[in-house]
Amino acid sequence: MARIGVFVCHCGENIGRTVDCARVADALREHPGVAHSVDYKYMCSDPGQALIKQAIAEKRLDGVVVAACSPHMHEKTFRRACAGADLNPFLCEMANVREHCSWIHEDRARATDKAIDLARTIVEKVKHNRPLQTIRIPVTRRALVIGGGIAGIQAALDIADGGAEVVLVEKEPSIGGHMSQLSETFPTLDCSQCILTPRMVEVYQHPRIKLMAYSEVDAVSGYIGNFTVKIRQKARAVDASTCNGCGACTKACIQRKIPSEFDERLGPRSAIYVPFPQAVPNTPVIDRANCAYFKAKAKGATKAACGKCAEACSRGAIDFDQQDSFVTEKVGAIVVATGFQLYRIGADQPQGLTGYGEYGYGTVPDVIDGLQFERLASASGPTGGKILRPSDGREPKRIVFLQCVGSRDPAKGMAYCSKICCMYVAKHTMLYRHKVHDGQATVFYMDIRAAGKGYDEFTRRAIEEDGARYVRGRVARLYRDGDVIKVHGFDTLSGEPLVLDADMVVLATAMRPQPGIEALAQKLSVSYDQHGFINEAHPKLRPVETNTAGVFVAGACQAPRDIPDSVAMASAAASKILGLFSQAELEREPTVARVDTGLCSGCFHCERVCPYGAVERREIRDRKGNLLKVVAEVNPGVCQGCGTCQATCPSKSVELDGFTDQQIWAEINALAL
Amino acid sequence: MKELQELAARLLTDGSAGVVIGYEEGPRGVRPAFVTRPDDVGRLIFDPRCVHNLATYLSPRRTHLKGLGRPAVVVKGCDARAVAGLLRESQLAREDVLLIAVRCGGVMRHPERHVDLRAETVADRCTSCDVREPHLFDFVVGEAPAAPPVTDRREARIRELEAGSPADRWAFWQEELSRCVRCHACRQACPMCFCERCVADKTQPQWVESSAHPRGVLAFHLTRAMHQAGRCVDCGECERACPADIPLGLLNRKLAHVVAERFGHHPSDDPSVPAPIGSYAQQDGQEFIL
Repeated sequence: MARIGVFVCHCGENIGRTVDCARVADALREHPGVAHSVDYKYMCSDPGQALIKQAIAEKRLDGVVVAACSPHMHEKTFRRACAGADLNPFLCEMANVREHCSWIHEDRARATDKAIDLARTIVEKVKHNRPLQTIRIPVTRRALVIGGGIAGIQAALDIADGGAEVVLVEKEPSIGGHMSQLSETFPTLDCSQCILTPRMVEVYQHPRIKLMAYSEVDAVSGYIGNFTVKIRQKARAVDASTCNGCGACTKACIQRKIPSEFDERLGPRSAIYVPFPQAVPNTPVIDRANCAYFKAKAKGATKAACGKCAEACSRGAIDFDQQDSFVTEKVGAIVVATGFQLYRIGADQPQGLTGYGEYGYGTVPDVIDGLQFERLASASGPTGGKILRPSDGREPKRIVFLQCVGSRDPAKGMAYCSKICCMYVAKHTMLYRHKVHDGQATVFYMDIRAAGKGYDEFTRRAIEEDGARYVRGRVARLYRDGDVIKVHGFDTLSGEPLVLDADMVVLATAMRPQPGIEALAQKLSVSYDQHGFINEAHPKLRPVETNTAGVFVAGACQAPRDIPDSVAMASAAASKILGLFSQAELEREPTVARVDTGLCSGCFHCERVCPYGAVERREIRDRKGNLLKVVAEVNPGVCQGCGTCQATCPSKSVELDGFTDQQIWAEINALAL
Repeated sequence: MKELQELAARLLTDGSAGVVIGYEEGPRGVRPAFVTRPDDVGRLIFDPRCVHNLATYLSPRRTHLKGLGRPAVVVKGCDARAVAGLLRESQLAREDVLLIAVRCGGVMRHPERHVDLRAETVADRCTSCDVREPHLFDFVVGEAPAAPPVTDRREARIRELEAGSPADRWAFWQEELSRCVRCHACRQACPMCFCERCVADKTQPQWVESSAHPRGVLAFHLTRAMHQAGRCVDCGECERACPADIPLGLLNRKLAHVVAERFGHHPSDDPSVPAPIGSYAQQDGQEFIL
């Protein structure tokens, strides 16, 4: 006969108000197999836990049922208490009489009856619980960081400084990300490159960081502590080990008018190029789509159409025959820090949206986006830091800034707030006034969101000291009228329509995740929201973890983030990873699936439905080595205990420890008692 | 016929097959034949009376056939779908079997009762089958046949049942299933019922009652139908094997319609087409998620 202890919690008034806890305890005392049953005001408190421990010792309990809140809340607490009294923690279960009962019912008598039923089902379940042992898995003390923007750089440096090795993968030829394109940063107006480039160099020179620029993650397998990552190193057509970064090749290149991605298409670059002078690594790459040699080769030319770069190179580093190569790395944890892209109206309308054609972006040359303005204001930009119009190179005397273009607009754009635009528009108006003293900046805004240290002061400064004119309202239409852009807006404070003449218009377009994020998320088995932002494991309590153990998230790939946020997330992810690496072995909950290999028919439906890739194939052979059959086997290190395989298995050959068929059956039967 | 016999003789002589599984004339009509000697190939026949799905013998659980060597199996379109199903679900390796596809213009519903193939005598499944020549094969034999006679019998019955109220359908199936004696012939005859241990035979705990009580009968047939959804190859063996004439094909056919509508999946003899149970597509319906 089982000797189960039942502990009914009042949760202060939370349960006690609606459920007669004493009656529940009395009823359960009479239930077969229950050796002890009490109620208490706060079972999770120290004295409450002491009650459990004492009863386990005195009444020789072989199972514990705590009728209280959700197991999400306190299962760990009570299992730890049981372990403290030398009872296997997995012989302890919770009956949820709060969320499933007291919080959702009003009738005290019937709620109490239901609480009794709920407790009984769990008592019957616990009769079939088996002691389980915590799973221990080894840890590879090496991390992969995907994305070499400020978040990835910070995460890589923090992890490497903490003593672990890091592989940093960046898809562009250089690390630095969007931060390297910015002129100055809010709210202190310090030069973006000045604070970023030393960190980039630090990454490059760090003995524990392996930098893989111009590379992408091809495939990921394995699980927390033991990932195997296949990385594609894209062919630069330049041998990085012999190139000394002298730049002779880029000067020799005959293709000179390719729009520069780094300068947001406002300036030119050559076909063999380094994205920007401070690039890390400072190794050029040949853009095969625009290179005369590769274009001719693609058309079937047998003779080399061009080779100016190879002729100019004194070290023979140009290698036109270089192919993509693959590298496999073993890591124990992964940080996703792929950052954002700006919503480019017209160029990449997401999910069939057609909004904002009325703003003329892409057709009116002097309507630009926020990143393009950054390049115009940047000393390293195409205009050398002078604010000049793209159309005729004149200095604009009137600039209109539009906030929330595509953000906070569920009808035409994205429903979310892009968070950084209020601040960078204020910054832009200041940079503009500092460079064009007689210039007038006008900002159309919905409201100003300047929550952050020094942020509100910063926007006030833009308005009060640098003369930015803020108009609350939206702009209906923009069009070119001779030399100027006519801006038709509406001032919602005065209630009057407004028509302004502008020399240039800057659209603060929405932040969106990088293209291809869904494919990467699928490789990593992490979830993402409808916009493509990576989901955190818990919005408040686990902000840098994902729902896949060992995969962390940092920066603007999770949601719109500014630099301080991204850096903070990166450091948080790094500290989580260093914490993970501080253990020799990982402990995992043993509630994982188990295959009865004798019954398994090897149809592998479980393998196909497993979202974590935890199902493997195992050959069963007789003593002579003849193959008898191939069966499924669950890798307990990867299994997250979701139970999909158990539900899918047609012959019920998979059991989930802690939730076996026998246990569920007992629970259901208890309701019929 | 001669072409089939000559091919069988060649395969058995050169050792590429240990046994040819086909059809022969038996004392009570056509029956499956297992020919292991080239001298016996004269027994092999193929005509519209060859209704059996011989892919059933390829299940790895049929261990008594293992000693005979590599099988060469005569397959019609429906049988090839079953072979594809076994390949898809890792029950068979392609190189472990030779497939002798026969061009088929339909088979009879009750070969023991009929002499010719007409709309009244054609098997229900053949009307909806457009595979005259299987796509999964090593050899193809036979002459190009005419399309099978057309009958709307089964679909009309499904439409009729669908038109009725849930109470009508409940009454219909209660009546039909009341004849079930739980002999499990439907399961044994099914090429896709290959589990090492059927869930209906599980006793710890026993989800499906094993006696012929209506509770267990209903649970068994509904479970079997659900396990066949998206997997059933519509070979009709379950219904043919049933000694109580329960129209199991109606259940399977209805589920096939549902799967086709929901997931755009049709039973295929291409093993690379994934079964809906283990595959996801972006356009899969999600309205059931609250």
